[in-house]
Amino acid sequence: MVRLLSLYAPREIRAASADARLVEAACRGDQTAFGQLYEQYAAVVHGLLLTKVPREEADDLVQEVFLIAMRRIMALRDPNRFGAWLSAIARNLANDHYRRLRPTDSLTEDPPETAGQTAATRHSDTGAAILDVIRSLPDAYSETLILRFVEGMTGPEIAVRTGLTHGSVRVNLCRGMRMLRERLEAASANRSERESH
Amino acid sequence: MTMKSDKPEPEERIDPYLWDGSGQPDSEVEKLEALLSPFRYDPSARAIPRVENPAARVRRVRLFPAFAYVAGVAAIVVALVVMFVRGRQTAPASGPGWVVSDVRGTLRLGKTTVSAGKLSSHLGVGQVLETGAQSQARLTAEQTGEIDVDPNTRLRLVAMGNDTKRIALDHGVIHAFIWSPPGQFVVDTPSGITVDLGCAYTLQVDDSGGGVVRTSMGWVGFKLKGHESFIPAGAVAAIKPNSGPGTPYFEDASAKFRSALASFDFEDNTPEQRARDLGTVLVEARNRDALTLWHLLSRTDTSQRVLVYTRLARFVPPPSGVTEEGILGLDSAMLDRWWNELGFDDIAVWRRWERAWGGTGGVK
Repeated sequence: MVRLLSLYAPREIRAASADARLVEAACRGDQTAFGQLYEQYAAVVHGLLLTKVPREEADDLVQEVFLIAMRRIMALRDPNRFGAWLSAIARNLANDHYRRLRPTDSLTEDPPETAGQTAATRHSDTGAAILDVIRSLPDAYSETLILRFVEGMTGPEIAVRTGLTHGSVRVNLCRGMRMLRERLEAASANRSERESH
Repeated sequence: MTMKSDKPEPEERIDPYLWDGSGQPDSEVEKLEALLSPFRYDPSARAIPRVENPAARVRRVRLFPAFAYVAGVAAIVVALVVMFVRGRQTAPASGPGWVVSDVRGTLRLGKTTVSAGKLSSHLGVGQVLETGAQSQARLTAEQTGEIDVDPNTRLRLVAMGNDTKRIALDHGVIHAFIWSPPGQFVVDTPSGITVDLGCAYTLQVDDSGGGVVRTSMGWVGFKLKGHESFIPAGAVAAIKPNSGPGTPYFEDASAKFRSALASFDFEDNTPEQRARDLGTVLVEARNRDALTLWHLLSRTDTSQRVLVYTRLARFVPPPSGVTEEGILGLDSAMLDRWWNELGFDDIAVWRRWERAWGGTGGVK
Protein backbone atom coordinates (compact mmCIF):
# COMPACT_ATOMS: atom_id res chain seq x y z
CA MET A 1 0.00 0.00 0.00
CA VAL A 2 2.78 2.36 0.98
CA ARG A 3 4.56 1.44 -2.23
CA LEU A 4 1.41 2.14 -4.21
CA LEU A 5 0.90 5.50 -2.53
CA SER A 6 4.50 6.43 -3.18
CA LEU A 7 3.86 6.09 -6.90
CA TYR A 8 1.46 9.00 -6.64
CA ALA A 9 3.72 11.15 -4.49
CA PRO A 10 5.20 14.29 -6.05
CA ARG A 11 8.29 13.66 -8.12
CA GLU A 12 10.66 15.41 -5.70
CA ILE A 13 9.38 13.34 -2.77
CA ARG A 14 9.98 10.17 -4.75
CA ALA A 15 13.46 11.45 -5.59
CA ALA A 16 14.20 12.16 -1.94
CA SER A 17 13.02 8.73 -0.98
CA ALA A 18 15.18 7.14 -3.67
CA ASP A 19 18.15 9.16 -2.46
CA ALA A 20 17.60 7.96 1.09
CA ARG A 21 17.75 4.39 -0.16
CA LEU A 22 21.00 5.17 -1.94
CA VAL A 23 22.41 6.66 1.24
CA GLU A 24 21.47 3.56 3.21
CA ALA A 25 23.09 1.40 0.57
CA ALA A 26 26.22 3.58 0.59
CA CYS A 27 26.41 3.19 4.36
CA ARG A 28 26.36 -0.56 3.88
CA GLY A 29 29.34 -0.23 1.56
CA ASP A 30 27.59 -0.21 -1.80
CA GLN A 31 30.05 1.65 -3.99
CA THR A 32 27.65 2.00 -6.90
CA ALA A 33 25.17 3.76 -4.65
CA PHE A 34 27.78 6.27 -3.60
CA GLY A 35 28.68 6.81 -7.23
CA GLN A 36 25.05 7.60 -7.99
CA LEU A 37 24.86 10.03 -5.09
CA TYR A 38 27.97 11.71 -6.45
CA GLU A 39 26.36 12.15 -9.85
CA GLN A 40 23.11 13.45 -8.43
CA TYR A 41 24.55 15.89 -5.93
CA ALA A 42 27.73 17.12 -7.62
CA ALA A 43 25.94 20.09 -9.20
CA VAL A 44 24.41 21.31 -5.95
CA VAL A 45 27.74 20.97 -4.16
CA HIS A 46 29.41 22.90 -6.95
CA GLY A 47 26.78 25.63 -6.75
CA LEU A 48 27.17 26.04 -3.01
CA LEU A 49 30.94 26.21 -3.34
CA LEU A 50 30.69 28.75 -6.13
CA THR A 51 29.08 31.26 -3.77
CA LYS A 52 32.39 31.60 -1.92
CA VAL A 53 35.25 30.40 -4.06
CA PRO A 54 36.47 31.02 -7.61
CA ARG A 55 35.19 28.71 -10.28
CA GLU A 56 38.40 26.77 -10.87
CA GLU A 57 38.79 26.09 -7.16
CA ALA A 58 35.13 25.13 -6.84
CA ASP A 59 35.72 22.39 -9.41
CA ASP A 60 38.48 20.88 -7.30
CA LEU A 61 36.63 21.29 -4.02
CA VAL A 62 33.64 19.30 -5.28
CA GLN A 63 35.79 16.22 -5.13
CA GLU A 64 37.03 17.15 -1.69
CA VAL A 65 33.49 17.48 -0.37
CA PHE A 66 32.62 14.00 -1.60
CA LEU A 67 35.76 12.49 -0.20
CA ILE A 68 34.90 13.91 3.20
CA ALA A 69 31.34 12.70 2.82
CA MET A 70 32.50 9.24 1.85
CA ARG A 71 34.64 8.96 4.94
CA ARG A 72 31.96 10.23 7.27
CA ILE A 73 28.76 8.92 5.79
CA MET A 74 28.37 6.38 8.58
CA ALA A 75 27.99 9.27 10.99
CA LEU A 76 24.85 10.40 9.16
CA ARG A 77 21.97 9.28 11.34
CA ASP A 78 19.03 10.18 9.11
CA PRO A 79 19.48 9.23 5.45
CA ASN A 80 16.72 11.68 4.56
CA ARG A 81 19.01 14.50 5.66
CA PHE A 82 21.79 13.59 3.24
CA GLY A 83 21.24 16.70 1.12
CA ALA A 84 21.30 19.05 4.08
CA TRP A 85 24.30 17.24 5.55
CA LEU A 86 26.25 17.33 2.30
CA SER A 87 25.33 20.99 1.86
CA ALA A 88 26.71 21.70 5.31
CA ILE A 89 30.00 20.04 4.40
CA ALA A 90 30.16 22.09 1.21
CA ARG A 91 29.41 25.34 3.07
CA ASN A 92 32.01 24.56 5.73
CA LEU A 93 34.64 23.82 3.15
CA ALA A 94 33.76 26.93 1.15
CA ASN A 95 33.90 29.08 4.27
CA ASP A 96 37.19 27.57 5.28
CA HIS A 97 38.56 28.21 1.82
CA TYR A 98 37.21 31.74 1.87
CA ARG A 99 38.86 32.42 5.21
CA ARG A 100 42.19 31.24 3.88
CA LEU A 101 41.82 33.44 0.84
CA ARG A 102 40.93 36.52 2.84
CA PRO A 103 42.94 37.37 5.95
CA THR A 104 41.12 39.06 8.82
CA ASP A 105 42.31 42.52 7.85
CA SER A 106 40.24 42.26 4.67
CA LEU A 107 37.20 43.02 6.87
CA THR A 108 38.13 46.66 6.53
CA GLU A 109 37.58 46.53 2.79
CA ASP A 110 34.49 47.90 1.07
CA PRO A 111 31.27 46.16 2.04
CA PRO A 112 30.16 43.42 -0.35
CA GLU A 113 27.41 45.57 -1.83
CA THR A 114 29.91 48.14 -3.02
CA ALA A 115 32.27 45.49 -4.30
CA GLY A 116 29.47 43.84 -6.21
CA GLN A 117 28.23 47.07 -7.65
CA THR A 118 31.72 48.02 -8.74
CA ALA A 119 32.16 44.75 -10.54
CA ALA A 120 28.82 45.10 -12.25
CA THR A 121 29.55 48.66 -13.24
CA ARG A 122 32.70 47.52 -14.99
CA HIS A 123 30.96 44.95 -17.11
CA SER A 124 27.35 44.70 -16.20
CA ASP A 125 26.46 42.57 -19.18
CA THR A 126 28.88 39.74 -18.50
CA GLY A 127 28.12 36.58 -16.62
CA ALA A 128 31.19 36.98 -14.43
CA ALA A 129 30.08 40.40 -13.24
CA ILE A 130 26.57 39.19 -12.54
CA LEU A 131 27.98 36.26 -10.62
CA ASP A 132 29.98 38.72 -8.52
CA VAL A 133 26.83 40.67 -7.76
CA ILE A 134 24.99 37.50 -6.76
CA ARG A 135 27.88 36.57 -4.48
CA SER A 136 27.54 39.93 -2.78
CA LEU A 137 23.97 39.07 -1.71
CA PRO A 138 23.24 37.42 1.65
CA ASP A 139 24.28 33.77 1.60
CA ALA A 140 20.76 32.32 1.57
CA TYR A 141 19.88 34.35 -1.51
CA SER A 142 23.15 33.89 -3.36
CA GLU A 143 23.12 30.13 -2.85
CA THR A 144 19.59 29.74 -4.15
CA LEU A 145 20.12 32.04 -7.12
CA ILE A 146 23.33 30.30 -8.12
CA LEU A 147 21.66 26.90 -7.94
CA ARG A 148 18.79 28.24 -10.04
CA PHE A 149 20.70 30.22 -12.69
CA VAL A 150 24.14 28.63 -12.80
CA GLU A 151 23.32 25.00 -12.11
CA GLY A 152 19.94 25.16 -13.84
CA MET A 153 18.01 23.54 -10.99
CA THR A 154 14.34 24.19 -10.40
CA GLY A 155 12.96 25.39 -7.06
CA PRO A 156 11.68 21.94 -6.09
CA GLU A 157 15.01 20.35 -7.01
CA ILE A 158 16.87 22.89 -4.88
CA ALA A 159 14.60 22.06 -1.97
CA VAL A 160 15.19 18.32 -2.29
CA ARG A 161 18.93 18.54 -2.79
CA THR A 162 19.66 21.07 -0.04
CA GLY A 163 17.10 19.90 2.51
CA LEU A 164 15.34 23.27 2.55
CA THR A 165 11.56 23.56 2.53
CA HIS A 166 9.75 24.69 -0.59
CA GLY A 167 8.73 27.82 1.29
CA SER A 168 12.32 28.70 2.10
CA VAL A 169 13.48 28.23 -1.46
CA ARG A 170 10.52 30.24 -2.74
CA VAL A 171 11.28 33.12 -0.40
CA ASN A 172 14.99 33.04 -1.20
CA LEU A 173 14.31 33.09 -4.92
CA CYS A 174 11.76 35.94 -4.66
CA ARG A 175 13.73 38.17 -2.36
CA GLY A 176 17.07 37.29 -3.86
CA MET A 177 15.79 38.07 -7.34
CA ARG A 178 14.38 41.37 -6.16
CA MET A 179 17.66 42.34 -4.50
CA LEU A 180 19.68 41.23 -7.52
CA ARG A 181 17.50 43.30 -9.82
CA GLU A 182 17.93 46.37 -7.62
CA ARG A 183 21.69 46.03 -7.54
CA LEU A 184 22.00 45.46 -11.27
CA GLU A 185 19.81 48.47 -11.96
CA ALA A 186 21.85 50.61 -9.58
CA ALA A 187 25.05 49.47 -11.23
CA SER A 188 23.63 50.19 -14.66
CA ALA A 189 22.55 53.67 -13.54
CA ASN A 190 26.03 54.36 -12.15
CA ARG A 191 27.59 53.31 -15.39
CA SER A 192 25.26 55.50 -17.46
CA GLU A 193 26.00 58.43 -15.22
CA ARG A 194 29.73 57.97 -15.57
CA GLU A 195 29.51 57.60 -19.32
CA SER A 196 27.49 60.79 -19.60
CA HIS A 197 30.29 62.71 -17.86
CA MET B 1 18.56 28.70 5.54
CA THR B 2 16.25 31.57 4.78
CA MET B 3 16.45 35.24 5.49
CA LYS B 4 13.76 36.58 7.82
CA SER B 5 10.69 34.35 7.64
CA ASP B 6 10.09 31.28 5.53
CA LYS B 7 6.60 32.48 4.76
CA PRO B 8 6.25 34.24 1.45
CA GLU B 9 4.65 37.61 1.79
CA PRO B 10 1.65 38.36 -0.42
CA GLU B 11 3.73 40.32 -2.91
CA GLU B 12 6.12 37.36 -3.18
CA ARG B 13 4.01 35.22 -5.44
CA ILE B 14 6.73 33.68 -7.48
CA ASP B 15 6.83 33.66 -11.24
CA PRO B 16 6.27 30.05 -12.38
CA TYR B 17 9.19 30.20 -14.77
CA LEU B 18 11.54 31.35 -12.02
CA TRP B 19 10.21 28.62 -9.72
CA ASP B 20 10.31 25.56 -11.93
CA GLY B 21 10.77 26.65 -15.51
CA SER B 22 7.09 26.25 -16.33
CA GLY B 23 4.78 28.83 -17.87
CA GLN B 24 5.74 31.76 -20.03
CA PRO B 25 9.51 32.27 -20.00
CA ASP B 26 10.57 35.44 -18.25
CA SER B 27 13.05 37.23 -20.53
CA GLU B 28 15.09 38.54 -17.60
CA VAL B 29 15.39 35.08 -16.06
CA GLU B 30 16.24 33.59 -19.45
CA LYS B 31 19.02 36.12 -19.89
CA LEU B 32 20.44 35.31 -16.48
CA GLU B 33 20.32 31.60 -17.28
CA ALA B 34 22.15 32.16 -20.56
CA LEU B 35 24.84 34.36 -19.03
CA LEU B 36 25.45 32.20 -16.00
CA SER B 37 25.15 28.69 -17.40
CA PRO B 38 28.79 28.69 -18.62
CA PHE B 39 29.79 28.55 -14.93
CA ARG B 40 27.86 25.33 -14.47
CA TYR B 41 29.45 22.22 -13.01
CA ASP B 42 31.21 20.20 -15.69
CA PRO B 43 31.22 16.55 -14.67
CA SER B 44 33.37 15.48 -17.60
CA ALA B 45 36.40 17.17 -16.09
CA ARG B 46 36.21 15.55 -12.69
CA ALA B 47 37.70 12.44 -11.20
CA ILE B 48 34.51 10.41 -11.20
CA PRO B 49 33.22 11.19 -14.67
CA ARG B 50 29.57 11.16 -15.51
CA VAL B 51 28.38 8.60 -18.00
CA GLU B 52 27.45 10.94 -20.80
CA ASN B 53 24.50 10.68 -23.07
CA PRO B 54 25.43 9.53 -26.56
CA ALA B 55 24.66 12.89 -28.14
CA ALA B 56 27.30 14.56 -26.05
CA ARG B 57 29.92 12.20 -27.39
CA VAL B 58 29.62 13.63 -30.85
CA ARG B 59 31.11 16.90 -29.67
CA ARG B 60 34.13 15.50 -27.97
CA VAL B 61 36.19 12.36 -28.11
CA ARG B 62 35.71 10.52 -24.86
CA LEU B 63 38.63 8.27 -24.23
CA PHE B 64 37.57 6.31 -21.22
CA PRO B 65 34.13 7.21 -19.95
CA ALA B 66 32.82 3.88 -18.75
CA PHE B 67 36.18 2.54 -17.71
CA ALA B 68 37.06 5.61 -15.69
CA TYR B 69 33.68 5.55 -14.03
CA VAL B 70 34.25 1.96 -13.01
CA ALA B 71 37.78 2.81 -11.90
CA GLY B 72 36.53 5.75 -9.88
CA VAL B 73 33.89 3.66 -8.24
CA ALA B 74 36.47 0.94 -7.64
CA ALA B 75 38.54 3.44 -5.70
CA ILE B 76 35.48 4.24 -3.65
CA VAL B 77 35.11 0.55 -2.98
CA VAL B 78 38.60 0.41 -1.55
CA ALA B 79 37.93 3.30 0.76
CA LEU B 80 34.46 2.22 1.79
CA VAL B 81 35.27 -1.40 2.27
CA VAL B 82 38.27 -0.66 4.43
CA MET B 83 36.36 1.95 6.38
CA PHE B 84 33.36 -0.23 7.04
CA VAL B 85 35.00 -3.58 7.47
CA ARG B 86 38.16 -2.73 9.30
CA GLY B 87 36.96 0.34 11.10
CA ARG B 88 39.43 2.98 12.07
CA GLN B 89 41.73 3.38 14.98
CA THR B 90 42.93 6.86 15.50
CA ALA B 91 44.82 8.65 18.17
CA PRO B 92 45.97 12.19 18.52
CA ALA B 93 49.23 12.73 16.68
CA SER B 94 52.18 14.22 18.45
CA GLY B 95 53.48 16.84 16.04
CA PRO B 96 53.12 16.77 12.29
CA GLY B 97 53.00 13.29 10.90
CA TRP B 98 50.80 10.31 10.15
CA VAL B 99 48.87 8.09 12.52
CA VAL B 100 49.95 4.47 12.12
CA SER B 101 47.07 2.10 12.73
CA ASP B 102 45.57 -1.22 11.68
CA VAL B 103 48.94 -2.86 12.13
CA ARG B 104 49.12 -6.51 11.19
CA GLY B 105 52.16 -8.50 12.16
CA THR B 106 55.15 -6.57 13.45
CA LEU B 107 56.78 -3.56 11.86
CA ARG B 108 59.61 -1.18 12.58
CA LEU B 109 58.79 2.43 13.27
CA GLY B 110 61.95 4.42 13.81
CA LYS B 111 63.87 2.56 16.47
CA THR B 112 60.85 0.86 17.95
CA THR B 113 58.91 -2.25 17.09
CA VAL B 114 55.15 -2.00 16.71
CA SER B 115 52.95 -5.07 16.89
CA ALA B 116 49.35 -5.80 15.96
CA GLY B 117 46.94 -4.87 18.70
CA LYS B 118 48.59 -1.62 19.65
CA LEU B 119 45.99 1.13 19.30
CA SER B 120 48.08 3.45 17.17
CA SER B 121 51.49 5.01 16.72
CA HIS B 122 52.84 8.10 15.11
CA LEU B 123 55.14 8.44 12.11
CA GLY B 124 56.96 11.72 12.50
CA VAL B 125 59.07 13.69 10.05
CA GLY B 126 62.38 11.95 9.45
CA GLN B 127 61.17 8.61 10.79
CA VAL B 128 61.30 5.37 8.82
CA LEU B 129 58.53 2.80 8.73
CA GLU B 130 59.41 -0.68 7.57
CA THR B 131 57.07 -3.63 7.27
CA GLY B 132 58.20 -7.24 7.20
CA ALA B 133 57.08 -10.14 5.07
CA GLN B 134 53.99 -10.66 7.22
CA SER B 135 53.17 -7.13 8.29
CA GLN B 136 51.23 -4.19 6.97
CA ALA B 137 49.72 -0.98 8.29
CA ARG B 138 47.65 2.04 7.53
CA LEU B 139 48.81 5.64 7.70
CA THR B 140 46.21 8.34 8.22
CA ALA B 141 46.49 12.10 8.21
CA GLU B 142 43.15 13.78 8.76
CA GLN B 143 43.72 16.61 6.30
CA THR B 144 45.65 14.59 3.74
CA GLY B 145 44.44 11.06 3.24
CA GLU B 146 45.17 7.43 3.93
CA ILE B 147 47.98 5.17 2.81
CA ASP B 148 47.88 1.41 3.10
CA VAL B 149 51.37 0.01 3.41
CA ASP B 150 51.89 -3.54 2.11
CA PRO B 151 54.39 -6.11 3.39
CA ASN B 152 58.11 -5.67 2.67
CA THR B 153 57.82 -1.93 2.32
CA ARG B 154 60.18 0.74 3.57
CA LEU B 155 59.23 4.40 3.55
CA ARG B 156 60.31 7.59 5.26
CA LEU B 157 58.33 10.74 6.08
CA VAL B 158 60.27 13.59 4.53
CA ALA B 159 57.98 16.55 5.12
CA MET B 160 54.58 17.29 6.57
CA GLY B 161 53.98 20.98 5.94
CA ASN B 162 50.78 22.86 5.25
CA ASP B 163 51.38 22.83 1.51
CA THR B 164 53.49 19.72 1.02
CA LYS B 165 53.26 16.25 2.44
CA ARG B 166 56.21 14.24 1.21
CA ILE B 167 57.13 10.60 1.62
CA ALA B 168 60.10 8.69 0.28
CA LEU B 169 59.30 5.13 -0.79
CA ASP B 170 62.53 3.13 -0.92
CA HIS B 171 60.85 -0.15 -1.86
CA GLY B 172 57.56 -1.96 -1.48
CA VAL B 173 53.95 -1.11 -2.24
CA ILE B 174 51.69 1.67 -1.02
CA HIS B 175 48.05 2.33 -1.86
CA ALA B 176 47.39 6.04 -1.46
CA PHE B 177 43.95 7.54 -1.19
CA ILE B 178 44.41 11.28 -0.97
CA TRP B 179 41.93 14.05 -0.29
CA SER B 180 44.27 16.98 0.25
CA PRO B 181 44.29 19.48 -2.64
CA PRO B 182 45.99 18.29 -5.83
CA GLY B 183 49.73 18.74 -5.86
CA GLN B 184 50.27 18.57 -2.10
CA PHE B 185 51.04 14.89 -1.66
CA VAL B 186 54.35 13.84 -3.15
CA VAL B 187 56.19 10.52 -3.05
CA ASP B 188 59.88 10.27 -3.85
CA THR B 189 61.05 7.03 -5.43
CA PRO B 190 64.46 6.00 -6.80
CA SER B 191 62.93 6.48 -10.28
CA GLY B 192 61.41 9.91 -9.83
CA ILE B 193 58.59 11.52 -7.91
CA THR B 194 54.85 10.99 -8.04
CA VAL B 195 52.55 13.90 -7.46
CA ASP B 196 48.96 13.29 -6.47
CA LEU B 197 46.56 15.28 -8.60
CA GLY B 198 43.40 14.32 -6.77
CA CYS B 199 43.23 10.59 -6.69
CA ALA B 200 43.78 7.08 -5.50
CA TYR B 201 46.72 5.13 -6.78
CA THR B 202 49.09 2.27 -6.11
CA LEU B 203 52.81 2.72 -6.26
CA GLN B 204 55.11 -0.27 -6.39
CA VAL B 205 58.88 -0.05 -6.17
CA ASP B 206 61.08 -3.15 -6.36
CA ASP B 207 64.55 -3.61 -4.94
CA SER B 208 66.15 -2.27 -8.11
CA GLY B 209 64.26 0.99 -7.70
CA GLY B 210 62.02 0.30 -10.68
CA GLY B 211 58.34 -0.46 -10.51
CA VAL B 212 54.96 0.72 -11.60
CA VAL B 213 52.37 3.34 -10.75
CA ARG B 214 48.73 2.44 -11.28
CA THR B 215 45.98 5.05 -10.93
CA SER B 216 42.46 4.08 -9.93
CA MET B 217 40.90 7.51 -9.49
CA GLY B 218 41.85 11.03 -10.59
CA TRP B 219 45.34 11.23 -12.03
CA VAL B 220 48.97 11.18 -11.01
CA GLY B 221 51.92 13.10 -12.34
CA PHE B 222 55.29 11.37 -12.43
CA LYS B 223 58.51 13.18 -13.01
CA LEU B 224 62.24 12.64 -13.20
CA LYS B 225 64.19 15.73 -14.18
CA GLY B 226 62.57 16.85 -17.45
CA HIS B 227 60.85 13.53 -18.09
CA GLU B 228 57.21 13.55 -17.06
CA SER B 229 54.17 11.31 -17.37
CA PHE B 230 50.53 11.92 -16.58
CA ILE B 231 48.66 8.83 -15.54
CA PRO B 232 44.86 9.09 -15.44
CA ALA B 233 42.46 6.62 -13.85
CA GLY B 234 42.72 3.21 -15.44
CA ALA B 235 46.23 3.76 -16.74
CA VAL B 236 49.64 2.58 -15.58
CA ALA B 237 53.24 3.57 -16.17
CA ALA B 238 56.38 1.61 -15.53
CA ILE B 239 59.24 3.38 -13.80
CA LYS B 240 62.98 2.74 -13.98
CA PRO B 241 65.88 4.34 -12.12
CA ASN B 242 67.66 6.93 -14.27
CA SER B 243 65.06 6.53 -17.03
CA GLY B 244 62.20 7.80 -14.89
CA PRO B 245 58.58 7.22 -15.83
CA GLY B 246 57.75 5.18 -18.87
CA THR B 247 55.04 6.14 -21.31
CA PRO B 248 51.62 5.68 -19.66
CA TYR B 249 49.15 3.29 -21.22
CA PHE B 250 45.81 1.70 -20.52
CA GLU B 251 46.09 -1.85 -19.32
CA ASP B 252 43.52 -3.13 -21.77
CA ALA B 253 45.74 -2.20 -24.72
CA SER B 254 46.80 -5.14 -26.87
CA ALA B 255 49.71 -7.30 -25.77
CA LYS B 256 51.65 -6.26 -28.89
CA PHE B 257 51.10 -2.62 -28.04
CA ARG B 258 52.30 -3.02 -24.45
CA SER B 259 55.30 -5.11 -25.37
CA ALA B 260 56.44 -2.72 -28.09
CA LEU B 261 55.96 0.24 -25.79
CA ALA B 262 58.04 -1.36 -23.03
CA SER B 263 60.77 -2.10 -25.51
CA PHE B 264 60.65 1.44 -26.89
CA ASP B 265 60.77 2.99 -23.40
CA PHE B 266 63.42 0.98 -21.66
CA GLU B 267 65.43 -1.28 -23.95
CA ASP B 268 68.76 -0.19 -25.34
CA ASN B 269 67.80 -1.01 -28.92
CA THR B 270 69.14 -0.12 -32.33
CA PRO B 271 67.41 2.75 -34.17
CA GLU B 272 65.86 0.19 -36.51
CA GLN B 273 64.34 -1.75 -33.64
CA ARG B 274 63.06 1.43 -32.03
CA ALA B 275 61.41 2.35 -35.31
CA ARG B 276 59.78 -1.08 -35.46
CA ASP B 277 58.56 -0.77 -31.88
CA LEU B 278 57.09 2.63 -32.55
CA GLY B 279 55.44 1.34 -35.71
CA THR B 280 53.79 -1.46 -33.75
CA VAL B 281 52.54 0.98 -31.13
CA LEU B 282 51.05 3.26 -33.79
CA VAL B 283 49.39 0.42 -35.67
CA GLU B 284 47.96 -1.16 -32.54
CA ALA B 285 46.76 2.13 -31.02
CA ARG B 286 43.05 2.65 -30.43
CA ASN B 287 41.21 5.92 -29.73
CA ARG B 288 41.81 5.78 -26.00
CA ASP B 289 45.51 5.17 -26.58
CA ALA B 290 45.73 8.82 -27.51
CA LEU B 291 47.00 9.07 -23.95
CA THR B 292 50.10 7.12 -24.96
CA LEU B 293 50.54 8.85 -28.30
CA TRP B 294 50.45 12.29 -26.72
CA HIS B 295 53.29 11.31 -24.40
CA LEU B 296 55.26 9.84 -27.29
CA LEU B 297 55.34 13.22 -29.03
CA SER B 298 58.03 14.39 -26.65
CA ARG B 299 59.82 11.03 -26.51
CA THR B 300 60.55 10.63 -30.22
CA ASP B 301 62.93 12.29 -32.62
CA THR B 302 61.67 14.65 -35.29
CA SER B 303 61.30 12.05 -38.01
CA GLN B 304 59.30 9.74 -35.73
CA ARG B 305 57.31 12.58 -34.19
CA VAL B 306 55.56 13.37 -37.43
CA LEU B 307 54.24 9.80 -37.52
CA VAL B 308 52.97 10.09 -33.96
CA TYR B 309 51.42 13.47 -34.75
CA THR B 310 49.55 12.08 -37.75
CA ARG B 311 48.21 9.11 -35.82
CA LEU B 312 47.17 11.16 -32.78
CA ALA B 313 45.50 13.77 -34.96
CA ARG B 314 43.29 11.03 -36.41
CA PHE B 315 42.01 10.15 -32.96
CA VAL B 316 41.86 13.63 -31.43
CA PRO B 317 42.17 16.50 -33.90
CA PRO B 318 44.41 19.26 -32.58
CA PRO B 319 42.37 22.22 -31.36
CA SER B 320 42.35 25.56 -33.09
CA GLY B 321 45.69 27.31 -32.76
CA VAL B 322 47.65 24.10 -32.37
CA THR B 323 49.71 23.55 -35.49
CA GLU B 324 51.70 20.62 -36.80
CA GLU B 325 54.78 22.82 -36.95
CA GLY B 326 54.32 23.83 -33.31
CA ILE B 327 53.85 20.28 -32.13
CA LEU B 328 56.82 18.98 -34.11
CA GLY B 329 58.84 21.78 -32.51
CA LEU B 330 57.52 20.64 -29.09
CA ASP B 331 55.85 23.96 -28.34
CA SER B 332 54.88 23.35 -24.72
CA ALA B 333 51.81 25.60 -24.77
CA MET B 334 50.47 23.77 -27.82
CA LEU B 335 51.20 20.38 -26.30
CA ASP B 336 49.30 21.41 -23.19
CA ARG B 337 46.34 22.62 -25.22
CA TRP B 338 46.20 19.37 -27.12
CA TRP B 339 46.37 17.41 -23.86
CA ASN B 340 43.34 19.30 -22.62
CA GLU B 341 41.45 17.97 -25.63
CA LEU B 342 42.08 14.37 -24.63
CA GLY B 343 39.33 14.44 -22.03
CA PHE B 344 41.29 13.78 -18.86
CA ASP B 345 41.93 16.78 -16.66
CA ASP B 346 43.27 20.26 -17.11
CA ILE B 347 47.05 20.17 -17.29
CA ALA B 348 47.13 23.57 -15.60
CA VAL B 349 46.89 21.72 -12.28
CA TRP B 350 50.23 20.11 -12.97
CA ARG B 351 51.82 23.27 -14.32
CA ARG B 352 50.84 25.17 -11.16
CA TRP B 353 52.52 22.50 -9.11
CA GLU B 354 55.64 22.65 -11.29
CA ARG B 355 55.89 26.40 -10.85
CA ALA B 356 55.52 26.03 -7.11
CA TRP B 357 58.46 23.64 -7.16
CA GLY B 358 60.66 25.96 -9.16
CA GLY B 359 60.22 25.01 -12.77
CA THR B 360 60.40 21.92 -14.86
CA GLY B 361 63.91 20.95 -13.88
CA GLY B 362 63.70 21.89 -10.28
CA VAL B 363 62.71 18.59 -8.84
CA LYS B 364 65.08 15.78 -8.30
